[in-house]
Amino acid sequence: MSKLRLRHAAPALLVAVFLLALTACGTEYPNSTFNRHTDFNTSIDALWDRLLFWGTIVFVFVEAALVVTLIKYRKRAGGPEAKQIHGNAALEITWTAIPAVILVLIAVPTVKTIFETQAPAPAGALKVEVIGHQWWWEFHYPELGITTANELYLPVGRTASFELKTKDVLHSFWIPQMGGKRDLITNKSNFMWFTPNADLQSSVWNGFCTEYCGTSHANMKIRLYTVQPDEFASWAAHQAKPAVYPAAEPATPATPATPAIPAARGAQPTPAPVEDVGYMFPTADLPDHVIPKTPTPAGLTYDDALLAQGDPTAGQLGFMIGGCIGCHAINGLPGAVSTIGPDLTHIASRHTIAAGLFPNDGPHLARWIKNARLMKPGILMNTIGRGQYDPLLKITQEAGLDDKQIADVVAYLQKLK
Amino acid sequence: MATIAAPSLASAEDAYAENSGIWSWITTTDHKRIGTLYLWTALFFFLVGGLEAVLIRTQLAKPNMGFVSAETYNQLFTMHGTTMVFLAIMPLSAAFFNYLIPLQIGARDVAFPRLNAFSYWVFLFGGIFITVPILFQVAPNGGWFGYAPLTTNQFSAGPNIDFWVLGLQILGISSLAAAFNFITTIINLRAPGMTLMRMPMFTWMSFVVQFLLVLAFPPITIALFFLLMDRFFGTTFYEIAAGADPLLWQHLFWVFGHPEVYILILPAFGLVSEVLPTFSKKPLFGYNVMVYSGIMIGTLGFGVWAHHMFAVGMGPVADSIFSMMTMLIAIPTGVKIFNWIATMWSGEIRFTVPMKFAIALIAMFTIGGISGVMHSSPPADLQQTDTYFIVAHFHYVLFGGSIMGIFAGIYHYYPKMTGRFLNESAGNWHFWLNFIGFNLTFFPMHFSGMLGMPRRIYTYDAGQGWDLFNMLSTVGTYILVVSTSIFVVNFLRSRTRGLKAGNDPWGAGTLEWSIPSPPPDYNFAQIPEVTSRYPLWDLKDPAKTAGIAHSHADSATITDAHAVPVHEETERHTAKSLGIPMPFPTSKPFFTALAMVSMFSGLLFRRSGHDSIALTVVVGGALLFVSGLYSWLTSPLE
Repeated sequence: MSKLRLRHAAPALLVAVFLLALTACGTEYPNSTFNRHTDFNTSIDALWDRLLFWGTIVFVFVEAALVVTLIKYRKRAGGPEAKQIHGNAALEITWTAIPAVILVLIAVPTVKTIFETQAPAPAGALKVEVIGHQWWWEFHYPELGITTANELYLPVGRTASFELKTKDVLHSFWIPQMGGKRDLITNKSNFMWFTPNADLQSSVWNGFCTEYCGTSHANMKIRLYTVQPDEFASWAAHQAKPAVYPAAEPATPATPATPAIPAARGAQPTPAPVEDVGYMFPTADLPDHVIPKTPTPAGLTYDDALLAQGDPTAGQLGFMIGGCIGCHAINGLPGAVSTIGPDLTHIASRHTIAAGLFPNDGPHLARWIKNARLMKPGILMNTIGRGQYDPLLKITQEAGLDDKQIADVVAYLQKLK
Repeated sequence: MATIAAPSLASAEDAYAENSGIWSWITTTDHKRIGTLYLWTALFFFLVGGLEAVLIRTQLAKPNMGFVSAETYNQLFTMHGTTMVFLAIMPLSAAFFNYLIPLQIGARDVAFPRLNAFSYWVFLFGGIFITVPILFQVAPNGGWFGYAPLTTNQFSAGPNIDFWVLGLQILGISSLAAAFNFITTIINLRAPGMTLMRMPMFTWMSFVVQFLLVLAFPPITIALFFLLMDRFFGTTFYEIAAGADPLLWQHLFWVFGHPEVYILILPAFGLVSEVLPTFSKKPLFGYNVMVYSGIMIGTLGFGVWAHHMFAVGMGPVADSIFSMMTMLIAIPTGVKIFNWIATMWSGEIRFTVPMKFAIALIAMFTIGGISGVMHSSPPADLQQTDTYFIVAHFHYVLFGGSIMGIFAGIYHYYPKMTGRFLNESAGNWHFWLNFIGFNLTFFPMHFSGMLGMPRRIYTYDAGQGWDLFNMLSTVGTYILVVSTSIFVVNFLRSRTRGLKAGNDPWGAGTLEWSIPSPPPDYNFAQIPEVTSRYPLWDLKDPAKTAGIAHSHADSATITDAHAVPVHEETERHTAKSLGIPMPFPTSKPFFTALAMVSMFSGLLFRRSGHDSIALTVVVGGALLFVSGLYSWLTSPLE
């Protein structure tokens, strides 16, 4: 047989693909839904196992019946003639009834799980408000007085009860390792709860927006840190406080930039001690899959050497004159109260910026401030770097901050532990 | 047996000579030529939608790719879905409705031949209207589901969504007009003796689909009309600042959207129900149950729409009800699968290319059906919805089901439509590469989805555990490019170089095979009186149909004065020579459709602030439309 017979090669190819998929099972799947890290996903996973069990049985039975039929009754020279059977009531009733029975076996636990997982959250649950924005997440802990963005801390062993809302279009809140998703519906509150297992070690999980919400839908990610209760308490206590910079007057000997600032410092609150910045998930312990690897745009250049010269005090001024204050709140910085953009009070306590798109470090912050619209398509945040081309408005930014001023702002933001 | 002698001999070439040239296509009212137009146009859009898929898969081949921009990607995935649903699969089915329904029921044309032409032209112009913007980077970008409030002016200020709203509205008119036409045709134009329960299964499934169209399009029309009013005239149906509930759009959309799934799949079910008996040399197993299950699927299809919305928080009671309704649909669908297998059981199976595609539908649709049951369970669905698992599921249904069935239909009926076979070995290459490429593209998506990959993302980060599956999907897509190219070449070449096919090249049992290939414009020189479900088998191989009900044992006896016994017509005449009145060719449907589409497109000028131009075009279009209709309705049909 010299002619290549594709039909002989096809099954082998398919088997090869499945084997490949199997070998892939050895590798890491950091967003897998097959786990039982929470009560919510334990229910879901149990249901999934049942669906997979019956699904596999039906699949094997139907495909086997098909293949046997094809082999047994293929036309052959001298083979038997077709038997003219037109129907068989008993048989047809049987194969109507058997699927019906299987469906009952699926439907009963389904309905049970629906009512279990949608019951009101248990008493003592930690309340978290989730507010969707194009394209970032706002988180409130109303009982703790905390507002943060894109990164969420939860204590293990305690139920987290989410109230989900959106400021603009529809979004959907999903952390695959924790359970199912729930949509954020305009003009409406949605609810969902789950309890991270008490025996979970402190870990980080990826979350995603799963309702298409426009240009940067793909860039609307969540980091969830499930931490030990004492770690959570430490984190929460610090997050509830105002920004730690500017520090107390005596602690900072006059720097060249200070004379420009006092006017803006009028209503300065009592600062927290600089050393106590609360718990933050240790950078060294971050697993690879939560460290963003998004490339920065090729056309966006910044001399990282400038960052070493960044002056936080001048940066605080730059934060105001650069227009940042128009959208971002910093608790403790007078006038910085806008809620249009993410709250930056403790931005330096986060591991990522731009809703999980980039690591929170000097070089990325600097490029972000310089031209955020190049780094995350379609976003509301202006192009701020002087002389930068704004890809959304299609104009060149004539005012704005130069690279040194950006370094100052970065230095300031990095003080906001 | 009985063959009609030619009163005056006219060769096929003569008959076709007067029917060539672009003008003859623009003015045609022949259901077969309109079916051919649908087929070519829909195949063209199928290639366009496929090309969009190739760009999508190239962008997703690896993490953090920069092959296309976010904005372009969003336009591509929106248009891929919109194109495949409205411009490829639906009109491919319409091609078969047009071509086959009159032939299968023994009619000379559809009930309203000019309305039929109008439906096609509206589809063509609507298709162009919605497709061209992507060449200028202003294509719709709100997803094929167009969820409000993302699609309102506040969040989509450009013209992109305008093209989508107006385009779908235009295409809906085409579908509705066609649906009423086919319902009337099937009810009124059946040959004597062709009772409903003797209709070929393709006609039956098409019949069900026409009712789905008639009932499902009004909700989407209303939803689109609200959005159109919001976007152009400042109403606030979906305006969030005015307190709108965005779930209004979702309910209206899915009340249409779920029956739409059955609109896409049932014609394919019908086609394979013709192919499987033919190549098993056996009548369809359990004909009655196949009819009832088709009706059942269509009916239940209207009661399950909210299973697309399990994540919106409808509450446990609604979730449970829609979940169980959805599970119910698995029963009639399962019955179809089993009955197809039983049709082949104890037959003599010939593995021709159309048969292979039909078998592939059974094998692949089963997988889509099983994953469908998996997300009928709302808690489980909360992990699945809006991930690649869903993308895998509905491609197993729409590609593994609809497209496989449509390819089965194309290979099966190409000889009837052109008089020539598609090349068999090219067909085999097409089938196997298609089968492999399809599975390689979509099977890995089950994994990427359950491993946490959301849908509709233009890029993803490295290290998420999705790289391998995405690469496999992309390689699969490239294999599909090769297989589809083989098909395209085969389709084009076989028109002139394929082996010649006679009336009944496959040994099938229904009426369309009793007349020449391609059929003459009048279809049947003499209308046959049908006495059973497989009239041609009654004639040629009565043993095959001995076990099914006949109206009278001797098929040579007739009861209808205007009919003749079932017979084979081998000679080709012209309608004129036989004295059969046929509808006149007319360009009026073409111009009426053109006027209607320009009327809609006038609204686009409102977006750019040219209200006076908008008014002129809308009113001008409306006047032309009305005068077109007037002149059409006042001119005689034949």
